[in-house]
Amino acid sequence: MTHYDAVLSCTNLTLERGDRVLVRDISLALEPGQALVLTGPNGAGKTTLLRALAGLLRPAAGEIALEPGPAGWLGHAEGLKPAETVRQALDFWAALSDQPRDAVEGVMRALALGHLARRPCGALSAGQKRRAGLARLALSGRAVWLMDEPSAPLDAAGRERLSRLAQAHRARGGIILAATHADLGWPDVQRLDLGAEAAA
Amino acid sequence: MSARGLFIREARLAFAGGGGPAGPAAFYLAALALAPLAIGPDAAILAAAGPGVIVFGALLASLQGAERMFADDASDGTLELYALSGLPLSACALIKALAYTLAAFWPAPVIAGMGALAYGLSLEAALALAAGIALAAPGLVFIAAFAGALAAGLRRAGLIIALIAAPLQAPLLVFAAGAARAAMDGTGLTGANLMLALAFSLAAMVLAPLGAGAALRARLE
Repeated sequence: MTHYDAVLSCTNLTLERGDRVLVRDISLALEPGQALVLTGPNGAGKTTLLRALAGLLRPAAGEIALEPGPAGWLGHAEGLKPAETVRQALDFWAALSDQPRDAVEGVMRALALGHLARRPCGALSAGQKRRAGLARLALSGRAVWLMDEPSAPLDAAGRERLSRLAQAHRARGGIILAATHADLGWPDVQRLDLGAEAAA
Repeated sequence: MSARGLFIREARLAFAGGGGPAGPAAFYLAALALAPLAIGPDAAILAAAGPGVIVFGALLASLQGAERMFADDASDGTLELYALSGLPLSACALIKALAYTLAAFWPAPVIAGMGALAYGLSLEAALALAAGIALAAPGLVFIAAFAGALAAGLRRAGLIIALIAAPLQAPLLVFAAGAARAAMDGTGLTGANLMLALAFSLAAMVLAPLGAGAALRARLE
């Protein structure tokens, strides 16, 4: 089993949307196996911070280090195509990241997607789509996971599977940064409250 | 390896999703069937107008898929994932446009050739026109894709796409129709027109993905 040598850090990061400063002077540093939960009210800049760390957004100031890149990304939308079946989509994403084909079945079992393999992604519920998105992330072979509201559409069993997936990733030396409103119930996580930062 | 997988996926989606080749083909056939009603029944006029009408129809058909080519990716989160895939966005745009050309726009030369015969062109002129559309097709689609990337997710994207793409596609219109007219008039310039259509297509296939990649990158930021 591969062990990641992951690094995620930023120093004095300032992010702007239009001419509004959303995030000012954020610094964080995560080592292999660590997870950070990002909280804060709507509009505090959680998603913007995730996008900047992923390299999708240029920061107004500050430095970002994410090794080995690129990041594994779980956004609001899962990137699923209505005409594709779950299995087709996961086979594609696994191949795009040069992951072995037989890894797909194990991940589908872990996320209870086995019975949905031949269902078109357009016919999935929101929670099922999110589980497919998590499977795609797990098959990406990326060391640093950036997750935006990972648990939002999931039921209790789904949250439990998410939690196990996150634990397994951390046990392999992966890093997770998750923005959330809900309590994810993950053990031993660091916390960063963007609302508190803004008020300070 | 990953580029091949992306091409296969995009070709499959272009073929199966959203009507596939039937969308542009139906539009193209309808345009070619309706134009003679406006032009009138005079066989000589119809044959003279044929190359222009048929090539212009192909141009309009190429704009059909442009609005959704990148707008869907931008709204369903695929764009972020492609941006983080390790492939440059311009390479993704090139693969997408190539997959669309081959999977969804392939009927265009066939329709052009059959349409040319129906308009009363000689077999030689019809073949020249089909070849002209076949060589111009990648250029038409790539320019439409570039405009689609610029307009992805905007309101009235269709209007913006037509305004950006149509002027850039004009040389392809000239050379493809020129090939058929040269064959009709026996000027011997059919080959030269076909070569120019091919040259312009190749240039568009190099430049349009770079522009589309930059437009998509700017959209993400």
